[in-house]
Amino acid sequence: MRIPLLYCAVAATLIVTGCSAAPTNTPATEQAPGYLAVTDESAPDGGTLELQMTVDNGAATGLDPQLADVATAWQLMSLVYETLVTVGPDFTIEPGLAESWDTPSPTRYVFHLRDDVTFSNGRAMTADDVTGSLNRLLESEGVWRTQIGPVEEVSTVDERTVEVTLSSPYEPFLAALANIPAAVLPMKEVADGSVDLARTMLGTGPFVVESHRQDVSWRFTAREDYWGAGKPAVDTVNIAITGQEQARMAALQNGNADLVMLGNVDAPQLLQGVRGTTVATQATTDFYYLMLNSNAPGGKFSDPRVRRAINIAMDRNAISASALGGLGKPTGATPAGLPGACDPAQLPSATAGLDQARQLLAEAGAENLTFELAVFSTEPAPAIAQVIQQNLARVGITVTIEQLDEGSWSGKVYGEVPATFDAALSWFAGYADAGMVGKWWNPEQAGFNAGFMKPNPELNSVIDAAISTADSAERTTALRELCTAVDEDAQMIPLVTRPALIGYRTDTLSPTLYATEGYGNVFRGVADFRLLTQ
Amino acid sequence: MRLFSWWLRRALSAVVTLFLVSILIFAASRLMPGGFAEVVLGPFASPEQKAEVSARYGLDQNILVQYWLWLTTALTGDFGISMISGEPVTTEFGLRLPVTAELTVAGFAAAICLGVPLGVYTAVRAGRGRTAAVGRLASGLGVSVPEFVLGSIVVFLFSRFALGLTVGGYVPLSEDPGQNLRSMVLPAAVLSVFVIAVTARTTRDAVLTVLVEPYITAAIARGESPWFIVTRHVLRNASIPVVTVLSTITAYLLGGAVIIEYLFNLPGVGSYIVQAVGRRDYAVVQAGVLLAAVVFIVLNTLTDAAAGALDPRFGTGSKARRSR
Amino acid sequence: MSWWHRTDWLTRAGLLCLAVLVLGTVVATVFGIGGDPEAMVGPRLAPPGGDYPLGTDQLGRSMLPRLFEGIGTTLLLSTVAVLVTAVIATLLGIAAGYWGGWLGEVVMRLVEVLYSFPTIVLAILVAAVVGPGQTATVCSIILITIPLMTRLVRAAAIIVAQRDYVTSAVISGAGWPRILFRHVLPNISGTIAVQGTYALSVGILVEGGLSFLGFGVQPPQSSLGALIQQGSTYLIAAPWLVIVPGIVLVVAILAINVFGDGLRDSLEPREARSLV
Repeated sequence: MRIPLLYCAVAATLIVTGCSAAPTNTPATEQAPGYLAVTDESAPDGGTLELQMTVDNGAATGLDPQLADVATAWQLMSLVYETLVTVGPDFTIEPGLAESWDTPSPTRYVFHLRDDVTFSNGRAMTADDVTGSLNRLLESEGVWRTQIGPVEEVSTVDERTVEVTLSSPYEPFLAALANIPAAVLPMKEVADGSVDLARTMLGTGPFVVESHRQDVSWRFTAREDYWGAGKPAVDTVNIAITGQEQARMAALQNGNADLVMLGNVDAPQLLQGVRGTTVATQATTDFYYLMLNSNAPGGKFSDPRVRRAINIAMDRNAISASALGGLGKPTGATPAGLPGACDPAQLPSATAGLDQARQLLAEAGAENLTFELAVFSTEPAPAIAQVIQQNLARVGITVTIEQLDEGSWSGKVYGEVPATFDAALSWFAGYADAGMVGKWWNPEQAGFNAGFMKPNPELNSVIDAAISTADSAERTTALRELCTAVDEDAQMIPLVTRPALIGYRTDTLSPTLYATEGYGNVFRGVADFRLLTQ
Repeated sequence: MRLFSWWLRRALSAVVTLFLVSILIFAASRLMPGGFAEVVLGPFASPEQKAEVSARYGLDQNILVQYWLWLTTALTGDFGISMISGEPVTTEFGLRLPVTAELTVAGFAAAICLGVPLGVYTAVRAGRGRTAAVGRLASGLGVSVPEFVLGSIVVFLFSRFALGLTVGGYVPLSEDPGQNLRSMVLPAAVLSVFVIAVTARTTRDAVLTVLVEPYITAAIARGESPWFIVTRHVLRNASIPVVTVLSTITAYLLGGAVIIEYLFNLPGVGSYIVQAVGRRDYAVVQAGVLLAAVVFIVLNTLTDAAAGALDPRFGTGSKARRSR
Repeated sequence: MSWWHRTDWLTRAGLLCLAVLVLGTVVATVFGIGGDPEAMVGPRLAPPGGDYPLGTDQLGRSMLPRLFEGIGTTLLLSTVAVLVTAVIATLLGIAAGYWGGWLGEVVMRLVEVLYSFPTIVLAILVAAVVGPGQTATVCSIILITIPLMTRLVRAAAIIVAQRDYVTSAVISGAGWPRILFRHVLPNISGTIAVQGTYALSVGILVEGGLSFLGFGVQPPQSSLGALIQQGSTYLIAAPWLVIVPGIVLVVAILAINVFGDGLRDSLEPREARSLV
């Protein structure tokens, strides 16, 4: 169950790519800072791009971008929808549909829109579309309603200008605007009922949907009248939904696909020496975390000392080394790699020893603690669970792993309030600002956690401080306090970041890939992709 | 007249069986933990959203009412709407059925064209002794290699090395027959190994049983050629167990296709049902299992009818029982 | 002539293989040969040799003890399930075959219902309802093997019920428990034994298939199916992860099938003739 994709961006290190690409299959393109690959502009236009990904969009919520809450949905929708601002290769905020913006005060944002943008039905985008979209988001029940922040008012200043007023300073505002749920929608058509966003996609982006078969495939075609000069380079994009890792590897090896998403952390090694292929490892801000249910039967985790002991016993380096092949990075509640993120090695749980954990358990009278850990069956989650089991055995805790299919896992963890499970493993998207994902530690704002988290007023005030502080030095301190408070609270324990592996054919494709990603969108550069052979 | 009453009885028992299957599958799909609303809407959905979705698909009604509505509409050929895709279940099944059917037909053809001759050959060739043991071992090996082991190895070998055939990249038969066949050869071959071996074993046993009958002894004494004896006497008399096993095989193929479709990423019915179980897409699970049950029951009935036609002592003659 | 002498070398070889597998696994488990199957002691994906005779898996666990654990799990779960199947199928089969009538009709309808579910779909449904793991595996194997076995026990019971010794026992006023236990059961025990053997190999296949699709035993416990599933992605980098458990799995099923054939032939001796 890929959950809230709250991605954050990260310091893009190219470590992984460096060692994964064998000399024979290093991409021919020059790698610029912040990029794993940059498209060779001399390659020809046109052709059909074949991509494969693991799961389809979220489904029952339909195709409405404002309700999309999983990264795969954002990834697919990003071919059709665009946002006012976007995230650049180094997590800087770059112009999108807004060519520039002013911030006259920390609570006022004025966006100046491009004048050459049209929806795929040919109608020009207006400031009213932007205002209407944001107001619609504020009234929606989607998860992004929480992330967009304390918006007080959105107003159309003139044909090309929109002003947003916040009720209090909110540092991640632009980062939150840069994700698909905040995309600009065709509000005129929505208002007159000629478009049902839940069933059709109509945006300003480089592609339009030609066909879609749920859980099987998508076919997108390039727009002739797209505003980006010379984009998109390809004529058609086919996306096959392929659940099986081996099938995706096979498609890449035999050339049925130009680019595939891979789940196995050893994929670089497995594809080593296969002519014309390479595996790029994108550092994401997504991270795995352990949920300890404060409402668990028998009050197993209601004592903070027990939760803290478990946190201390976590060996994040071992989790990364054994379960993620060294590709994950230990992280606190501010995703490792994002500007201003705290150093997980300095956290109280990291500096304490196992003896302290045993002592805490003894004080709490929980020496022979036994609990069940619910985990969904998509690798590497079961592998992480098994390392956790080994970690906790060191302090005398016995863990039973319960590996469930997506449906059962989701039902078990989120189906009942108060929740009845003991512990569960999942991952958050980390987003593009270090303070954003922290919001999920406040169950009053993140209702989906309310079944197993008890509100912690102290933690809540730290969370609020982390997102409202603007000054960079103060912000670093606030983020560190956030990490520490989450570490001590230990109802949701951040573990390690989740790498994204992308296999592509160097002999047929010249892609543009960011070295880091905050919103799980590997397809971010797809409008630039060029095929080397037609 | 007796034949008519036989068909009537079979039809009645088929209806009863299907009715029981429908109850069982409906109950099983609702007994699965984790409701549909939690699964598709995910953790971020509000209770109101979940209630709204439940209401949209009638999941908030009394369970018996839900069953009754489903059953009565299913009888009219309407199996409801996939809650995941929002499309009618029958549409998606219509698109996926050809994939599974192609696999099944290929496996079935392999069983008849390779399994039966192989069984006859080994039986006629070697009745006893060391060679018989080798034959047993070979056919035993065929039924002992699970398709997920063989399939994994085939997927690996054919994707890693350029061996002429590709893994995956399924194209519908109607779009490009050549490309379709290229993508179906490997999965069909992996699926066929087991059924060929099973058919060969059964055929061999059946032929061996027939070969010791007095009329074969008489035929040999008359100096008839082995080919003549096999085609004239053996095949007909050994055919009942073979026909029976062929129907079992078809049922197996329908189910065995699940793992093959999964491994080779084919958009067939089997993988659809498995996926639907994980998603709690009730309408799809229910329709899929019911469909499989119908196919199975029809096949079984046809097999028994065929067996009755081949040997009047068997099957349709209600009380008569075959003795060895 | 003892049973052993009536069988051919292949049957004996099958039995021997099984005995070696079972004894080896028991000995290895009792003495902890190879160490803790769950401890992440070594480097990841280390090739066989040295401290790790069969190499290590993707979490750095030694494959030797994991293989023993896997054989043990697979054989134990299948055996338990098949024993339950044998008991239930015998009861149902005799009820349907000896008494027949409406009882037989009910039994056969129920069996037919189970029969008409595609096997792996049935197993996945069971796993979804009771939750994946050992219970689901055992339940699946039972539900999948019951139909065929019940049918064959019923067929055998029908034949036995018509035999003279049963008729004379009925005439001499013997009670039905006596008839069942003294006359019917002993005479269908051969069928039960042979079908039980085949059911065992089906059980191993089902366990493997379920684990392969991720609904089988729970980690870190290993089973042959789970080992193959986990290893299958590593065929190029660490072929030993699949090859060893794969061979063991095939050998186990083959041995059981060959033994079953031999058992059947020795219980229902049959002349054979070569036409050529």
